[in-house]
Amino acid sequence: MSVTTMLAPSTRNSAASSTSSGFVPVSRQNTITSSEGAPRSVRASKRYSVTALYLSMSAQDRDLEIEDELARVQKTLRDLKSKISSQSKKNFVLEKDVRYLDSRIALLIQNRMALEEQNEVASHFDESSEIEGGTFPNDQKTQAYGNLFYLLQSEPRHIAALCRCVSMAEIDSLLQTVMFTIYGNQYESREEHLLLTMFQSVLSAQFETTPEYSSLLRANTPVSRMMTTYTRRGPGQSYLKVVLAKQINNLIEHKDLNLEINPLKVYEQMIKNVEEDTGALPANMPRSVSAEQAAENVQVQAIIEPRLTMLMEIANTFLATIIDNLDETPYGIRWICKQIRSLTRRKYPDAKDHIICTLIGGFFFLRFLNPAIVTPRSYMLIDSVPSEHPRRTLTLIAKMLQNLANKPSYAKEPYMARLAPFVANNKMRINKFLNDLCEVGDFYESLEMDNYVALSKKDLELNITLNEVYATHALLEKHSEELLSGRDTQHLRILLEELGAAPAQVPRKENRAIDLPLFSRWEGNIDDLSAALDITQEDVYFMEAKSIFVQLLRTLPATSAAARRPLNLRKIGDTATTMKDMGMFRKGMRGLELLNQLQEMGVITDQDNFQILREEIEQELVHLGSLKEKVMEETKKLEEVYKTIRDHNAYLVSQLETYKSYLHNVRSQSEGKQRNAGKQQKQQVLGPYKFTHQQLEKEGVIQKSNVPDNRRANIFFNITSPMPGTFVISLHYKGRNRGLLELDLKLDDLLEMQQNNHDELDLEYVQFNVPKVLALLNKRFARKKNW
Amino acid sequence: MQPSRREYNIVVLGAGGVGKSCLTAQFVQNVWIESYDPTIEDSYRKVVDVDGKSCILEILDTAGTEQFKIYLKTGKYCLPYRLILEALLINGFLLVYSITSLTSFQELTPIRDAILRIKEVDDVPLVIVGNKSDLEGDRQVSKNRANHLSRKWGNVPLYESSARRRQNVDEVFFNLTRQLMKKHSGDGGAGAGSGGTAGGGRRKKGKSCIIL
Repeated sequence: MSVTTMLAPSTRNSAASSTSSGFVPVSRQNTITSSEGAPRSVRASKRYSVTALYLSMSAQDRDLEIEDELARVQKTLRDLKSKISSQSKKNFVLEKDVRYLDSRIALLIQNRMALEEQNEVASHFDESSEIEGGTFPNDQKTQAYGNLFYLLQSEPRHIAALCRCVSMAEIDSLLQTVMFTIYGNQYESREEHLLLTMFQSVLSAQFETTPEYSSLLRANTPVSRMMTTYTRRGPGQSYLKVVLAKQINNLIEHKDLNLEINPLKVYEQMIKNVEEDTGALPANMPRSVSAEQAAENVQVQAIIEPRLTMLMEIANTFLATIIDNLDETPYGIRWICKQIRSLTRRKYPDAKDHIICTLIGGFFFLRFLNPAIVTPRSYMLIDSVPSEHPRRTLTLIAKMLQNLANKPSYAKEPYMARLAPFVANNKMRINKFLNDLCEVGDFYESLEMDNYVALSKKDLELNITLNEVYATHALLEKHSEELLSGRDTQHLRILLEELGAAPAQVPRKENRAIDLPLFSRWEGNIDDLSAALDITQEDVYFMEAKSIFVQLLRTLPATSAAARRPLNLRKIGDTATTMKDMGMFRKGMRGLELLNQLQEMGVITDQDNFQILREEIEQELVHLGSLKEKVMEETKKLEEVYKTIRDHNAYLVSQLETYKSYLHNVRSQSEGKQRNAGKQQKQQVLGPYKFTHQQLEKEGVIQKSNVPDNRRANIFFNITSPMPGTFVISLHYKGRNRGLLELDLKLDDLLEMQQNNHDELDLEYVQFNVPKVLALLNKRFARKKNW
Repeated sequence: MQPSRREYNIVVLGAGGVGKSCLTAQFVQNVWIESYDPTIEDSYRKVVDVDGKSCILEILDTAGTEQFKIYLKTGKYCLPYRLILEALLINGFLLVYSITSLTSFQELTPIRDAILRIKEVDDVPLVIVGNKSDLEGDRQVSKNRANHLSRKWGNVPLYESSARRRQNVDEVFFNLTRQLMKKHSGDGGAGAGSGGTAGGGRRKKGKSCIIL
């Protein structure tokens, strides 16, 4: 009997499902080798491998037959993870569009965009629609691409090499395919580990080509782009939320808290205040001073002093949260830190420890944490852009943390030297933290395992779009000369030759998402698993027996006599074979058969009631008991992540909607002007729509009201749109014919205000919130959608 | 102290690790920064005398690290988002690359495109700076290539500098200052933004204002 066929049923039955939580390779060592005098002498690592094999198989198992609590929560967790993976890919694509439009909106607003460019912008809206499912034009192509993507996925060095060849212009679309499709399963250890292997390869190439350590990881390269994209996957996002969201939100609540410590700015503000208060400047206060003069000014010093203390306190709380959450840091991020450390040590054997810490900080703080602190909104940590003062405070905090991670040269901004105590007090702490970050295990062994498991599976699939397939193919083709010059590239060469020229990108409407079956062209189903893994037949039987009995026990009612302790394995098997359920029957039979086989092999014996096996099973059950708690805990955490990602999606979609309707207006107006300058009134008037004060207050449109409480019920608003892009808001008091106030609004102005973070729209009696007004107008006055 | 000196806002842009801060610190403080100290955002003020005229330079030194730029390079433009707003207030630009990095050189064109589009002009006071000229052995960007770019942009002043050796540092800043002085010599004081009044119009509702 081949190992594969023997293993096949057990992948379904395995009860030893891991939480497959982080990417921490199997954390639990199997204990069987500790039983002295055991007839088998197995190396610990072998045992480890077998466990890993079972764990990773069961983690993949889609239709577990067990129906207990644990199985249910595990299923919830798995579903959640796959939802997060696919949602974050959608967001990534949507974000590209929104950012593109963000960069154009300023131009749009000033009507500076040529018609041709308007069309280009409009094309981005088309692209945000969902892609339909479909299949490849023909089977032969499916097979050829299935081979190619299997090779790309399982041998990351090809993509690593490609990442080094492509230009910065090509890297974004490549990374999208690599991070969200080829290795898109963010919570699957094999894909994660392969992706990290690719990182390592690209990183070490960069170390080789960088002349001095001070330029390492500084430039914007494909590597840095990879790091950014990587940190935006699910685990990175949830980490940022854990360590930063609360702190940042606390800070931005204090809109008026000014913690500027640049003497020049403080002096300027002071002058301005004096001038506003007294109408003139005293003779001893020149309008313009040098940095040194400002720093020496006694009043300026008095303002700055308490701010320094506060800044250091705030920075301390940030730092403390980061350090306390060491264990929350995603495995992949820590592993990258570890690679930076070991690559530095290898390349610069003389590098001092603090230099190495500097480089780790160059990644962890400069590329991961600090950008999120400086621009929290784009990392989904807060809902709106912070106002001026908190924004500056966040920048100062980021500067302090960066100073801590690196060696600050206060030569740059002398006033920052006043914060030196923060650096001095925490230098040891941060260096320890940065080193601790690197203390994670490697995954090579479990990766090897996972790859074998992948080979043994028949249903490896990749959900990918036609255009992703073609774009990747085109890049491989374009850079084939460099790619194929490396060692061991024969397989890639054959596949590329067979595929021929890369097809052009298909139009958006014809693009399809397909399930591409992946399989290896060269390695068939593995028959020699035990040889490959260096494990014996008895190990395999033992693990299978264990897994079957654990599963039987989970399925049997807790009250069943067979479930009583101490366990009687034969009795459990017998009970199962009397059950009507065919699955249970088969498992019972298999269990009994394995007991006999293992006894014949001398692994276990009837005399002590199969003690070794029994103990392991009991241990496993205890472990599974606590596992449920862990799974539920993780589920809870991920639900939050999923919610954040979905919220962000809703935000992105509404942003796109706003731009859409704006562009529509711009176009219909310019069309109107061109075609029939005379007939302006063709457009029908929309509205008026009536809104009560209470209604708008509830929806957050009114962010501040000066109307006395007892009058609010009598206030209402009418909104009319006489023509696209123009709105008239009028404020009415019940019983009076004429409105109290009328305001003409252009959509352009609202967008411009939003663009400039100007959130207040003043109607004298009430203050509207600009983004909320925009949302309201969009909802109510959406004109024809197809344009 | 002179009654009122002209003030110019200039910004130093370019890829990560090309030496923007080293160049600026050499110019402003006369120091060479040896350590690994990536910038998030620094600002400086320096009074300079050029051709017998005195003026104030407000220099904003930016992060080259792309993670701090909240745009994604989907189009031809790549300016930090915040700078898109600020670009209207900024008078002069130093575009820095490293002669040892071709990609850093290639990042300049999209930056200039963005500036011109946002400022709605065909031409803006600007200097191209190829830093790290002391690392001749690692050169990736030939002088010819840089000259070509300068010509393409309408003979924009181009310098190769070494912040480490303090070569061509003052020249770069002075050249930009001269351009600014020349440009603003006509209008009597209103043209160049004076930092303090930039936020002055904030009370006005509904009108655009640039918040720094």
